[in-house]
Amino acid sequence: MDYPYLQQRLAAGDTVYLDGGIGTEILRRGYTWASHQLKSEPELNLEIHGDYIRAGADVITTNTFQLSKRSFRNHFANDQHMQAVGEAGLLDRAGELIRDAVGLARQARQQTGRTEVAIAASITTLEWCFRPDRTPDPARILDEYLEELGDYRDAGADLLLFETFPSTPEAKVAIRAARELGVPAWVAFVPYRDGNLLGGESMAQVVDAMGDPRPDVLLLNCAPPAHISAGLEKLAPLWDGPLGVYAHIGKFNPPEWQFTDEYPPDKYLAACRQWHDLGATVIGGCCGTTPDHIAALTRAFQA
Amino acid sequence: MSYSTIRNLLADGRPVILDGGMGTEMLRRGVRWRQHGIADAPEVIRQVHGDYLAAGADVITAHTFNLTSTNFINFFRDREHMAEIGPPALETKAQELCALAVGLARDALRTSGQEGRVPVAGSISPVQHPFRPDLAPDQAVCADHHAQCVQVLAQCGVDLIFFEAMNNLGELRAAVRAGNRSGLPVWVSLIPDVAGTLLSGESLREAGNIARAEGAAAVLLATAPADVVTKGLPAILNGGPTGAQAIIGRYSPPSWKPDFYPHFVNTGATSPRRYAEAARAWHQAGAAIIGGSSGTTPAHIAAVRQALG
Repeated sequence: MDYPYLQQRLAAGDTVYLDGGIGTEILRRGYTWASHQLKSEPELNLEIHGDYIRAGADVITTNTFQLSKRSFRNHFANDQHMQAVGEAGLLDRAGELIRDAVGLARQARQQTGRTEVAIAASITTLEWCFRPDRTPDPARILDEYLEELGDYRDAGADLLLFETFPSTPEAKVAIRAARELGVPAWVAFVPYRDGNLLGGESMAQVVDAMGDPRPDVLLLNCAPPAHISAGLEKLAPLWDGPLGVYAHIGKFNPPEWQFTDEYPPDKYLAACRQWHDLGATVIGGCCGTTPDHIAALTRAFQA
Repeated sequence: MSYSTIRNLLADGRPVILDGGMGTEMLRRGVRWRQHGIADAPEVIRQVHGDYLAAGADVITAHTFNLTSTNFINFFRDREHMAEIGPPALETKAQELCALAVGLARDALRTSGQEGRVPVAGSISPVQHPFRPDLAPDQAVCADHHAQCVQVLAQCGVDLIFFEAMNNLGELRAAVRAGNRSGLPVWVSLIPDVAGTLLSGESLREAGNIARAEGAAAVLLATAPADVVTKGLPAILNGGPTGAQAIIGRYSPPSWKPDFYPHFVNTGATSPRRYAEAARAWHQAGAAIIGGSSGTTPAHIAAVRQALG
């Protein structure tokens, strides 16, 4: 894994642009995201990645959120039960879909000819991302991470984006696993309206926990713009490395997303300017954002 | 009121035929699975109920399995987080959808002219994922949760309370007790494991005994493949009305959903005729109540009806 173009820009303090929502964009285009649509609608995946690259994203994210061996296992009482009632091959499915997803992102990059674009592997917590109370024992998950991260590395992702983490203990294991494999690790935490993490840690505690092993970029994501601002105001003065943000817009209406017109591209851009002023140099969009939001951002910032 | 039909059938030693899968049948008919498809495709739900009635079902099950406020809250840190990033009124959404679901079952009964004969069962699933007994909360939480579900469904006017896919003893006991307080008949179905136990590993026989001792009007096995149901059935044949329902095909959940998602593949591998053969064996073994779990279709229920008369 290597991303010299991005490393240079990060080191120079230049703004690096992420993409916007993938799962929500699949929904917005009229499909269900239940299966990630990797095997069923590869063209749709290519189109969305391509639209984000054309909108000016420097980093595109694989369509792999919550795609892990454990996520499939979690639907069964145990492996014997899975064997008795589950579809054959479910334990291998996450690995296969990860390869498909990275492959589609690479293919989209190739189609657009922007070879400097980096492919970020989207990896969230092993259990449900918004449930810090369900975080597994950090002492017992390193092997699980090593296996999963190895799949992304072997498939050709350029960096690992650990996203939507509500607290630090699992993130520390994830970074450690990435270091063992020798791949760049970016970590994005969910902030809350009080400026702490969703799981309750203060930003001082976050910075302390992220000291060693240290992520290459520290980000905040998957919260409304106001929560991102509250978190960033507290985090920015404490963190001396590259800092990033990507907010969600609209409402999470399980199992889908409710799109709202609360943050049209120009208003999202205004929020991005504020985050940039606070010190964020890696900026994109989370759930509910679209290629139009990313285009508004890159065009205004590059003008 | 219409439950008396069932009481009479059971007293006469005649079979009682239930309906089959609803979620799987909706997916098979192309409905997008979001919030049970109740807002998206009410006409499909009515139609599926109608097809089960036409197939000869003596009971239809309202489309309320796994439809609780807990299922929404589970996606968030807590209620406060849900209020922050979720749409308005998500907290009462499940309740509203349950009322609509029971209404759709009633509509189907009216259309088929079977109102007053066929009762509507209000379906209640385990608090957490039906295949995850390890996630079941303690009995006090189960008791509160199920009491609320029972109250919602009783207010919607269901004719019986049907706790489906129970997977552990503690929750089972709390559920039946909560159901009893409605004054409605309470049925329970238990998930057997391949080893012949309850899915939790606890004794199936004990589960059956507890359910009956607590006052359940019927005890069934469900949500397992037919051979697993066959193997477990003797353990719950302990005197009272007993039933069996099996899944057909293979559970194929999406990775990211933390709750049950009714997607089954290879359901074509078990034909209605073969399913009816299994049903006949359950009936001969002593099961009076026969229906279908996930993956079964109106054609399977029609075949069962024909086989059992």
